[in-house]
Amino acid sequence: MIQNFLLMNGYGLFVWSSFIITFIVCGLVYYKTYKTLKKYEREFAKEINELSAEQKKLVVENSKIASQVLSSYSKTI
Amino acid sequence: MIKLLNFNNIFFWIEKLINFISSIFFVFLLVALSFALIFSPPDYLQGDSVRIMYIHVPSAWISLASFTFIALLSILHFLFKIKNLKLVIKSIAPIGLMFTCLALVTGSIWGQPTWGTWWAWDARITSMSILALFYIVLILTYKFVSEEDKANKISSFIAILGLINIPIIKYSVEWWNTLHQPASIKLSGSSTIHSSMLTPLLLMFFVLLLYCALIFLMKYKTEIIRIKKKNLKRL
Repeated sequence: MIQNFLLMNGYGLFVWSSFIITFIVCGLVYYKTYKTLKKYEREFAKEINELSAEQKKLVVENSKIASQVLSSYSKTI
Repeated sequence: MIKLLNFNNIFFWIEKLINFISSIFFVFLLVALSFALIFSPPDYLQGDSVRIMYIHVPSAWISLASFTFIALLSILHFLFKIKNLKLVIKSIAPIGLMFTCLALVTGSIWGQPTWGTWWAWDARITSMSILALFYIVLILTYKFVSEEDKANKISSFIAILGLINIPIIKYSVEWWNTLHQPASIKLSGSSTIHSSMLTPLLLMFFVLLLYCALIFLMKYKTEIIRIKKKNLKRL
């Protein structure tokens, strides 16, 4: 039964290769997008941390994004 | 409404949506794959090779829909200069290109057992290849044209020009003699596909849409952080 499922009456190679290629491509794109996002979050958080205390306070108070990135970054380290 | 379009609010909702989509994605993927690979019957003519349709057709739909959406947003951006739209276009374009390439590759794999050839320069395949070229030029414009205003103008022109190709792709199987079969699913009129095949097709389409939404949100979030990072340097 498993053999029939894998062979798909002689079309297995075509069907499986289509699905596998799609999942590999989707997986790679997801991985690259996720990595880029995390890289930007890390760099952004690092730049905020490098600001003077007064500037940092101003940025965090005025930007929800900055405070969110900073909090998620501090959770990961 | 304007308050809702604020980057801070958008960013908050993006976080929530990414978490929500991630939590339901694998359940739907498992269900869709079970239908596509196990429960759906083989075709009376094409046998089990018809299962490639469950990847190929949704990929093609997404590639066409993405470009149409990009073109419409480009027109709006050109007219109203809304900065948010540019970010949306930049985030959608790579997804559209990926699915255009997947539609071409899976179509080629499907072509071998069905037509006896991996590739034919017929109207549908050629017009889809041209769509991929439009996507590539659009992405390269944003990457290599440093002047923002110029990049926007060029990309809007490419998107609007590429929009002409969309009906050509759609109706290529009716206008020309091609190897490609005519559409089995019609928005207006009755579809010629059985429900046992339509269900996995729509499920796979939904799963791929969820995947697109996930990638789009992550890319969009990256673009917002990139802008905020630039603003931070001005301090």
